[in-house]
Amino acid sequence: MRSLKVVASGFQMNLKMLGTSSFFLLTAIVQPIIFATVAFYMFRAGGRNGTLLYAALGAGMMGVWSTTLFGSGGMIQWQRWQGTLELGAAAPPAMALIYLPFSLANAFTGMYAMAATLVWGRLVFGIGLHLAHPWLFVLALPATVIALGLMGLVLASTFILYRHANALSNLLEYPVWIASGLVFSTSLLPIWTRPISWVLPPYWGILAIRHAALGGAVWGPLGMVVLLGAASLLISTITFRWFEHAARARATLSLT
Amino acid sequence: MAVIEAIELRRTYRTSTGVLRRKPLEVEAVRGISFTVEQGELFGLLGPNGAGKTTTIKMLITLLLPTSGQARVLGHDVVEDAREVRKRIGYVFGGDRGLYERLSARDNLRYFAELYGVSGKAQRTRIDEVLELVGLKGREQERVEGYSRGMRQRLHIARGILHDPEVVFLDEPTIGVDPVGARELRRTIADLIAAGKTVLLTTHYMFEADTLCDRIAVIAKGRIVGEGTPEALKAGVAEGRVTEIDAFGVDEAAVARLRSIEGVTAVTVEEREQKQLLVVQTTGDRELTAPLLAELDGFEVGRVSSREPTLEDAYIALVTAE
Amino acid sequence: MRRWLGVFFVGGSIAYRGLFNWIRPATYIPTMLGAPLFQLIFFTKLGQYAHAESRDFYIVGNSIQACAMSSVYGMTMAVANERWFGTLGPLLASPANRSAVFLGRGVPVLANGLLVSAFSFVAGALILGFRPGVGAVIPLAAVVVVTVLSCTAFGMLLGSIGLRAKDFFFAANLAYFLMLLFCGVNIPLETLPGWMSAVGRCLPLTHGIAAAREVAAGASLGHVAGLVGTELGIAAAYAVAGLTLFRVLERESRRTAVLDAY
Repeated sequence: MRSLKVVASGFQMNLKMLGTSSFFLLTAIVQPIIFATVAFYMFRAGGRNGTLLYAALGAGMMGVWSTTLFGSGGMIQWQRWQGTLELGAAAPPAMALIYLPFSLANAFTGMYAMAATLVWGRLVFGIGLHLAHPWLFVLALPATVIALGLMGLVLASTFILYRHANALSNLLEYPVWIASGLVFSTSLLPIWTRPISWVLPPYWGILAIRHAALGGAVWGPLGMVVLLGAASLLISTITFRWFEHAARARATLSLT
Repeated sequence: MAVIEAIELRRTYRTSTGVLRRKPLEVEAVRGISFTVEQGELFGLLGPNGAGKTTTIKMLITLLLPTSGQARVLGHDVVEDAREVRKRIGYVFGGDRGLYERLSARDNLRYFAELYGVSGKAQRTRIDEVLELVGLKGREQERVEGYSRGMRQRLHIARGILHDPEVVFLDEPTIGVDPVGARELRRTIADLIAAGKTVLLTTHYMFEADTLCDRIAVIAKGRIVGEGTPEALKAGVAEGRVTEIDAFGVDEAAVARLRSIEGVTAVTVEEREQKQLLVVQTTGDRELTAPLLAELDGFEVGRVSSREPTLEDAYIALVTAE
Repeated sequence: MRRWLGVFFVGGSIAYRGLFNWIRPATYIPTMLGAPLFQLIFFTKLGQYAHAESRDFYIVGNSIQACAMSSVYGMTMAVANERWFGTLGPLLASPANRSAVFLGRGVPVLANGLLVSAFSFVAGALILGFRPGVGAVIPLAAVVVVTVLSCTAFGMLLGSIGLRAKDFFFAANLAYFLMLLFCGVNIPLETLPGWMSAVGRCLPLTHGIAAAREVAAGASLGHVAGLVGTELGIAAAYAVAGLTLFRVLERESRRTAVLDAY
C-alpha cells in the first residue's frame, strides 16, 4: 500500500513540475509539431495522401518517445543538479519505486505530444482521425505510452551512474524512431536490425495503434507491448540496484 | 597625485515592484561618496551588507556608470577613459563563481592573461610567479571544480594581479574562508602593499580592517559616516567607555529608557540564545553603571563589565547614528 | 595587433573549452557525431519511403544542417554560459578588445561545425551511397564552409541574446527546430507556404544548401555564385548583429547592472 502512495505522490509532483517548465513545452508540443509538419510535407510531396494519418500517428509516437527520453534523463540530471539525487538514494523505498511515478508522469506528458500532433494535423493539414477500431485504439494508446515510460525507467537507471547521460539521450532519439518503424517501414532497413526492432515497445506499439486506426490485427502487437513493458519494469529494478551501488562506490551521486 | 579619487559619487538603481501593475522604484545605493587614496596605501571600505560597498567598487573599476559624480583612477576618468583604467587595475571578488569550472587554474590564468595582454614567454613566467605568490603552485593543473573556497579565492587574487596592476581592488576577499586560510590571504594582501601597489579593500570584518588597513572609510546606507586611521576612529569613541551587561528578557521600552539616560550615546542589543547582551556606549568619564542598572530594575541581570571601545564599537556608533 | 590576435585565437579557444558543455569525448561523440548520423539516416529513409525527393537531396540537406548542433547550440553556449559561470564581470573589467573576445569564440565553433558536416557527408557516402562526381568535391567543400560560417554567425546573435534573455535555452532550441523546417533541409522551399519560405530565406543554411545541391549534381561554382554570395552576406549580417548586441548589452549593463543578475 505504501508503494502505491509513493508512486501516486511522485506522479502528482512530477506532473506539476513538468507543467511549469519551458523545456516541457518544447519537447512535448513544439518539437513533435515541427517534426510532424516536416513528415506531412514529405508525405504530401510523395503524393501518398491516404497515408497522412499514418504519418500523424507515427509523428505523435515520435513525440511520446522524445518526452519519455528527455524526461527520464532530464529528471535524473535535474535531481543531480538540485542535489537531491543522494536523498533519493538514501531514502528507504527502492530507487526504482521512487522513480517509477516520474517515468509514468513523463510518459503521460507524451500524451500531450500525441494529442498536439493529431490536433495540428487536423487543423492545418486536414487529416481526419477516422478509426477502424476505436475501442482498441483507446486501449492501445495508453498501453503503449505506459510501456514507453517503463522503457524510460530503465534508461533513467543508467543515468544515475553516468554524469553525462544527457548526451546519451541525444543519441537515442533518432535510432528508436528508425528501428521502431514509426514513420517508415522497417523493410527499408538492413535485415540485422530486425531483432533490435522486435525488442522495442514502440515498434509493437505503433503497429497496434496503426492497426487500430487503419485496420489490421491489434491484439498481437498489443500483447507484445504489455510483455515488453513488464520486462522493462523487471529489468529496471535490477539495473537501479546495480547502478545505484556502482554510483555509491564511485562517489558520483553528488557530483554535477 | 592621488591614485584613487572619488568625488560625490552617486548611484541609483531603477527597479519595479509587483508583477501586473509595475510601480517604478528608485533605490539610491550610493549617495554622494567622496574619498581619496594615496599611493602605497591600503584603504578599507568598511560597512554592513547593503551599505553600497560593492556598488562603489564597481563604479571605480568601470563596471558601473555613476549616476552622478566623478571618479578617477591614476588620473584617468572611469567613465571617459575606461579602457585606460582597466589596463592598470586588478579586480578581485569573493565567492565561488567567476571561474571556468571545467578548466585548470593554469588555463583560467592563461585565458585572462590573454585578455590583459600578457602574452608570449612573459605569460608563462608571470603565471608561475603569481601561482607561487598565492600558494597554489603544484595544484595548478587540477580543474577548478574540485577547489575549496580558499583555493578559489587565492586563484581570484592570482588572476587579479596577473598583469601586475598598480592598483588592486578587492571586494570582500576573505568571505567564507576558514580562519587559517583567511590569515594567509591577508598576508598575501599585505605583501601586495610591500610590493608597492595601492589596494582598496571592502569588508565587513572588523578585525580585518583593523589589522590590515592604513585608513578606513565606514560606509552605511550609501554614505561615508566616518573616515580615518583605525586609531583615529577608535579615538572618536575613546572618550567614553563601553559597558556590557548580560540581561534576560529586556524589552524595547527598557532599552529606550537606557538610551534616554544622560551620557549614553548608543545601546545595542545582541541576542545570545537565552540571554541578551546589552552594549552601552557612554561619553565622559562618569561611571554610569549604577544608573544603567537602576533602569533595568525588575529584569534579571547577569555579568556586568566595562571596557575600552574597540573598532567594532566605533563602527557601531557610526553606523547606528543615522 | 598581436594582442588582438592573441585574444581572438588563444582566448577564444580557451573560453570555448571552458564554456562548451559537450567537449569531453563521452559527450561529444554521441551529441555531435552520433545524433546527426542517425538524423541523416532517418530523413533519407523517410524520403525514400514517402517517394518525395531524391536520396542526394536529403543527404546534402541533412549533412549541412548537421553543423547546427555546433553552430547553434555550441556557439550559444560559448557566449551565454559566461553568465552561468559568473565570468562576465572579470571579462568586462579587462581592457581586452570586445570584437576579438566575441568573434574569437566563433573559430572553434566553426571548426567543430565543419568537422561534423564533413563526418556526415562521409557517412552519407559510406552508408547511403552518396556519390558526387570527383570534380564536385572541392566546390561542395567551399559551399559548405560558407554555409557553416553563416550558421555560426547566427549562433553568435543567439548567444548575445542569451546573455540577457531569461530562458534562452528555449529560444535556441526553437531556432534549431524552425531551421529544420524552414531552411529547405528536408522540404524544397517551393513547396512551403509563402511566409515560411520567406522566413527561410532570412535564415542561414537555406541558400547554402540550395547551392550545395546544385554543385553536388555537377554545377560549377560560378553557376551558384549568387546563392553563395547571399549566404556570405547573411553571415556578415548576423555576425555584425551579434557583436553589436554584445556591445549594446555591455553598455546597458554599465548603466543598469543588468548583466550581473542571474
